[in-house]
Amino acid sequence: MKADDTPNAPGTSGSPATPDGTLPSSRALLRSTAIAIVSAAVILVTVVLPAEYGIDPTRIGSVIGLTRMGEIKARLAKEAAANDSADAAAAAAADREDSVATATTAIATATATVPAAIATAPGTSTNSHVERVELKAGEGKEIKLDMRKGARATFAWSTDRGVVNYDLHGDTLNAPDGDFHSYRKGVAVRADSGEIVAAFDGRHGWYWRNRTAEPLVVTLTTRGDYQSLRYVK
Amino acid sequence: MSKWNPTDRWRAFVVLSTICALIAFPADAFAHGVTAGDKGWIQEVSGVLLMPFAYLGAKHMVTGYDHLLFLLGVIFFLHRLRDVGLYVTLFAVGHSVTLIAGVLTEVKVNAYIIDAIIGFSVVYKALDNLGAFQRWFGFQPSTKAATLIFGLFHGFGLATKILDFEVSPDGLVQNLVAFNVGVEMGQLLALSAILIAMGYWRRTRSFGRHAYAANVWIMTAGFVLVGYQVTGYFLPDFI
Repeated sequence: MKADDTPNAPGTSGSPATPDGTLPSSRALLRSTAIAIVSAAVILVTVVLPAEYGIDPTRIGSVIGLTRMGEIKARLAKEAAANDSADAAAAAAADREDSVATATTAIATATATVPAAIATAPGTSTNSHVERVELKAGEGKEIKLDMRKGARATFAWSTDRGVVNYDLHGDTLNAPDGDFHSYRKGVAVRADSGEIVAAFDGRHGWYWRNRTAEPLVVTLTTRGDYQSLRYVK
Repeated sequence: MSKWNPTDRWRAFVVLSTICALIAFPADAFAHGVTAGDKGWIQEVSGVLLMPFAYLGAKHMVTGYDHLLFLLGVIFFLHRLRDVGLYVTLFAVGHSVTLIAGVLTEVKVNAYIIDAIIGFSVVYKALDNLGAFQRWFGFQPSTKAATLIFGLFHGFGLATKILDFEVSPDGLVQNLVAFNVGVEMGQLLALSAILIAMGYWRRTRSFGRHAYAANVWIMTAGFVLVGYQVTGYFLPDFI
């Protein structure tokens, strides 16, 4: 390209790379590039890889106290990945249902699916509830089912007006130290339905938050193999 | 040209510490300046929220060391304000196009690959500044085209981050434009700081001698970014 096309082109306007304004020699450039690559490799192996991924072949990372951080990050990434794959099936189902649920006929559809699901639901102890959850503007509430590992419960909920954010999740009784598992979440949803298969012994249920400016009521129907239904403070 | 006088030395110290602070501070925050807090907030909201999204765009740019390093390389030898404006506009056009197109079409490229290319853009610009392409290939590749093309890749990186935010579809386009406006404002802020520091640095007699070393240093940082992202790509749990 022409020099005037490239105002910052090296060699124009009398200076860039070297003090006297001439181009550096090819040998000097190769040497500098090699120095850059070697320096980068040293920084990567001794600092960045230990701190980010817990990879520490030289042990320098642990000497300067970085490897532990990388190991914890690696463990968290592993747990997140495991959680994601466990959710994959549920998420696919949720995507299908969410698209139905956002239609105006959502409530009818959601409640209609419940009896069908109940007919096929196995269960040792069968319980059922219908709960009205009133949510003021900005308010959040949580309902949990006590379930044993592998137990199944079908559910459907919908709002009388407007939309809510929700998180369907489970935790062991002694959370936060115990297991926590998020089955699925949604933002600005009118209704949802499906089946919970308990991932472990514990409490599994919904947290709803009304982010709209108006009060609304969520009506929840549950049926299946659970010991009790309770509001969580 | 030979000896440093005390004023020069003091100036060089101020300039170098400013640049180091600019670059080291965001490195503390890690991971592109996108925190769980912001992501959590985004997943809780829907609808048009112009100011918050503009703020997030600006925050992402000001704390994004890869974008800043590239910008530093681009303006390193630009003396005239008119040229600075031209090149920064090219970069902004490039990344705006792919930021908006990438999010709306939901084209999600692996973040590690994009970030490795962004790291490579830093290496490229440093070599360009050193005159390596002229020396090695006998011609100067268009610096304007390079700025625009790498701008496109930087925009893809931004788009991937937004898709990762899982923004509500409600009000998405408006929020996206607000985010982009924020990115440009953050870029102007960061650029002013870099320009002030560079202005002082250029006035020192040592600038000529240190410009070469500075670009080798920028290239090293670019290689570190490439290595960091390529390693992440090959670790299954980090994808």
